[in-house]
Amino acid sequence: MAKKIKGPQMILANQLDDGRAVFFTRDGRWSADTSLAAYGEDSALDTLLAKAAKSAANNLVVDPEAIGAIVDNNRAYPAHIKHAMQAKGPSVRADLGYQTGFDWETK
Amino acid sequence: MYAYDAYDRTVVDARVAEFRDQVERRVKGDLSEEEFRPIRLMNGLYLQLHAYMLRVAVPYGTLSGDQMRKLAHIARRYDKGYGHFTTRQNIQFNWPKLSETPDILAELADVEMHAIQTSGNCIRNVTSDQFAGATADEVTDPRPYAELLRQWSSFHPEFSFLPRKFKFAITGAATDRAAVKWHDIGLIIKENDKGEIGFEVLVGGGMGRTPVIGKTIREFLPEKDFLSYMEAILRVYNEQGRRDNKYKARIKILVEALGADEYARQTEAEWEKIKDTTIDVPAEEVARIKSFFTPPPLEVLPEQVQSVDDFASKNFLFAAWLQNNTNAHKVSGHVNVTISLKPHGGIPGDATAEQMDLVAALADEYSQSEIRVSHEQNLILPHVTLKDLPSIWTDLDEAGLGTANVGLLTDMIVCPGLDYCALANARSIPIAQAITKRFDDMKRLQDIGPLKVKMSGCINSCGHHHAGHIGILGVDRKGEEMYQILLGGSGAEDASKAGILGPGFDEHGIVDALEKVVAVYLGEREEGEEFLSTYRRIGAQVFKEAVYDTA
Repeated sequence: MAKKIKGPQMILANQLDDGRAVFFTRDGRWSADTSLAAYGEDSALDTLLAKAAKSAANNLVVDPEAIGAIVDNNRAYPAHIKHAMQAKGPSVRADLGYQTGFDWETK
Repeated sequence: MYAYDAYDRTVVDARVAEFRDQVERRVKGDLSEEEFRPIRLMNGLYLQLHAYMLRVAVPYGTLSGDQMRKLAHIARRYDKGYGHFTTRQNIQFNWPKLSETPDILAELADVEMHAIQTSGNCIRNVTSDQFAGATADEVTDPRPYAELLRQWSSFHPEFSFLPRKFKFAITGAATDRAAVKWHDIGLIIKENDKGEIGFEVLVGGGMGRTPVIGKTIREFLPEKDFLSYMEAILRVYNEQGRRDNKYKARIKILVEALGADEYARQTEAEWEKIKDTTIDVPAEEVARIKSFFTPPPLEVLPEQVQSVDDFASKNFLFAAWLQNNTNAHKVSGHVNVTISLKPHGGIPGDATAEQMDLVAALADEYSQSEIRVSHEQNLILPHVTLKDLPSIWTDLDEAGLGTANVGLLTDMIVCPGLDYCALANARSIPIAQAITKRFDDMKRLQDIGPLKVKMSGCINSCGHHHAGHIGILGVDRKGEEMYQILLGGSGAEDASKAGILGPGFDEHGIVDALEKVVAVYLGEREEGEEFLSTYRRIGAQVFKEAVYDTA
């Protein structure tokens, strides 16, 4: 059984077609941009998860999961390095992909 | 090289068509992810941190120039312009789209390649000596037997759903370059007093979270009984291997639980029932497969070429490359060239499409259109004529492939780590890059001498850290990447398991720790003594005191 995460969480999944790591956004879409990501805890998180599950059922994303978030100035960042890596892309190929707008040294 | 017959082609084409249909059904929503996951894995398609990853089989590490060009084309057309060569002698593409993977597989099928059984609890790509068929120190070329294993194990109905994945390695040489003792089944080809070919059979080796060195259960298996004996070993495992706990499901756990003698007894008992049935292929079929691996017609040439010596005398890096990256071929006047995929500051095992194209072109021109992939994540041009070495090195060097570090400290095995892999706990590649920056001086590397550093980003050990003279293991300590250092492992014929030296370090500390280990070795070594011998002679304590400053 997965370890229970405390505090605010965001929803991370992979897009079905290209596997891109995406976050469930505040307006109910999926985006690689964490600045758009929705976050919450308790019942608000349950609501987010239910919406995200619907997206998975509609074949947009694969395996949505709630992940621990750090909230700073009303913006959520993945708390764990593995999820931060997914948000930012490979640290050794900063020239590649959709993550190129991210600075590896920032959150 | 082996060439597909009509049956091979039909099977591979049928699998491509089947997978195309499965992908379409997944995209339409007719298959759920739960239903689709095992299907895509059977076709080598993983879902990693950032994207899908497609692992393509390179059977026993042998490729043609045309096949390498196709890999370059796939990298360029369907991926982001590069691929990653792995410790199973395979190649991984890091960014394919799901909807395009059937097209990739169709393109691979055009050059007799596929991704079948590169994942899942089945028999994986059989690995072998990268110099097979091209080295003087082998009894015979192991690749015909690897090919027999490939054919026998492909879609084997009984062994497609084993308790866990299953890996073979085979070598025909006394010098083990294929880490056979670290495999589920390791095979060493031998010749008996009568001049007959046979196999020493080891079972129960493996890395992962429980590193175990394989144990010999048969000293000499006659050639004619090859496949039936393998079938008997697999049957015992398939029937009794644990399926309740994936961490205890590999054959090594069963062999440890039963004991090697009992495992051998049960294998022999099973084998008695099947050995004279229809499993072993007739001698004519073995001969037919061997005919695909007939040595190329190389002219016997002088062992020394003045123009090469002259070029080396004027160019230190070429001279170092000549010393480190070439080794003797069985035909005089020829060498095997190892192309290092470990450029200092680069990503170990990665090659760009342009680099792959260059290697293909060099293979066509200089090495009988043949290329090998080593489990140490380098590429090999076998059968190269000595006089061609300056031209080859010049071309390689211009393309960033001329690093003269094969067998030295910076020729590290490194897994993709947390930069790509969903299982990893820590990044491996940036540590490797930091190490190559610290040890960037070729004269210093030459002075340190042969040294195998192997690094994994998690306990699954894809980077073979247990088998490194120096191993590095990335771990997750409360969300922080930390690195343990291990000493004393070997993946060679003197296989040994590396031991953890002490508490871990952060990403900077691990490079310092490595440098301290090297300094102890340099201070303690005797004349001509390599790292592993020094470690075995003086033990871990001296290294520990230096690394943790406790003397």
